[in-house]
Amino acid sequence: MGLLTNLKDSISRVTDGLFAADEPKRIGIYGPPNAGKTTLANRIARDWTGDAVGPESHIPHETRRARRKENVEIERNGRKVTIDIVDTPGVTTKVDYKEFLDHDMDKDDAVRRSREATEGVAEAMHWLREDVDGVIYVLDSTTDPFTQVNTMLIGIIESQDLPALILANKTDLSGSDVQQIANAFPQHETIPLSALEGENMDEVYTKIAEYFG
Amino acid sequence: MPHQCTTCGRTFRDGSKEMLSGCPDCGGNKFQFKPKGTSADEEPSPPDATPSAPASSPSETPSASSPSETPSAPSPPETPSASSGTAAPGEPTDPTGPADPPASAEPRESTQAGSTERVSERTGEDTAQASARSDVVSPDELDRASRDVDPDAGPGSDSTSAEEGPRPDIGELRDELNEQFESIRIVSPGKYELNLMELYDRQEYIISLQEDGRYVIEMPDAWGISDE
Repeated sequence: MGLLTNLKDSISRVTDGLFAADEPKRIGIYGPPNAGKTTLANRIARDWTGDAVGPESHIPHETRRARRKENVEIERNGRKVTIDIVDTPGVTTKVDYKEFLDHDMDKDDAVRRSREATEGVAEAMHWLREDVDGVIYVLDSTTDPFTQVNTMLIGIIESQDLPALILANKTDLSGSDVQQIANAFPQHETIPLSALEGENMDEVYTKIAEYFG
Repeated sequence: MPHQCTTCGRTFRDGSKEMLSGCPDCGGNKFQFKPKGTSADEEPSPPDATPSAPASSPSETPSASSPSETPSAPSPPETPSASSGTAAPGEPTDPTGPADPPASAEPRESTQAGSTERVSERTGEDTAQASARSDVVSPDELDRASRDVDPDAGPGSDSTSAEEGPRPDIGELRDELNEQFESIRIVSPGKYELNLMELYDRQEYIISLQEDGRYVIEMPDAWGISDE
């Protein structure tokens, strides 16, 4: 039985390897709500395909379902890397409809959004478990990165041995502190950027090609 | 003959304390509740997988222990037929008795629900029990009960819901969801707490939550499980 299982695993690894060479890697864009994940996904998709991935908003949990943009071909230093981008809902440990009431939303809509956001977190975690080959972890560099969510997600990503790129977003804002993020996760390289303004995207693409190519 | 031992058939008058520690004849601890006017043993689909009769007793306590109800316990119309005569009609109803019904009309419903739990494994419901269930338990809850495999959760929630208003099951469904899916805790409508590690570790994928506390999950493929 063990022999058969081992044989099956070996065959599975070989076939996976064969397909992996052809299939684009699926890269999940993860992070807490309002870190700029969709802005980044749109920036990447527009730069290389001309399309957008989804609507951006300053209201938290705008993205409540994972959205995928396939076959994004990034060319770097004469080399092409094709990836599928998965823009995931912001991950959090608490969702409260009251936080939406400040955004011109009535209670029913806020409660619905809250429920959908919760479903979104479940979906994001499911994708992380099952369906991503690498992670772009986006953090708002104006906020404290030492949070339970960040620590837990980075821990999960590391335990999965997934290649991970940490991006310190919103460098265009005055309170941005990239170093604080670098200090929080010294085991990873931290790349500063402003997805909104398109600042430092060249380095981001170089690193994407390097990490996920 | 409100109560009948399902093992030896001995009957007990309403309000009897004899059965509190099991049937004195055979030691059986499952009793069928037969309110007056019902004798036919219909066999509607018996509620499955809701054993654990003792678990229902604590949750019934609130209704059964209401002191104002106990004096009416003897309730002659309830106990007309051939019981063994061992009951003590004047005795107050013991609130800890799992199948000991107060005789007044309102609480009887909840007691019927409790009794239904007690006999669920071995006998079908009679018509009164069936109607009691349909009167007080929403279809949602029946659904839930039928797939409930937690022996402690089902009876308690059934009997409690019998005492509440027209939509009594929301809070319980929420509690139950929290128990079964500790990965998502519904604090109140629109307010959630999430256990990320649990969400990550689950094979099932929670596709959608609904207002009433129900949820839809996507199960992993059967072949996937057997292959692993």
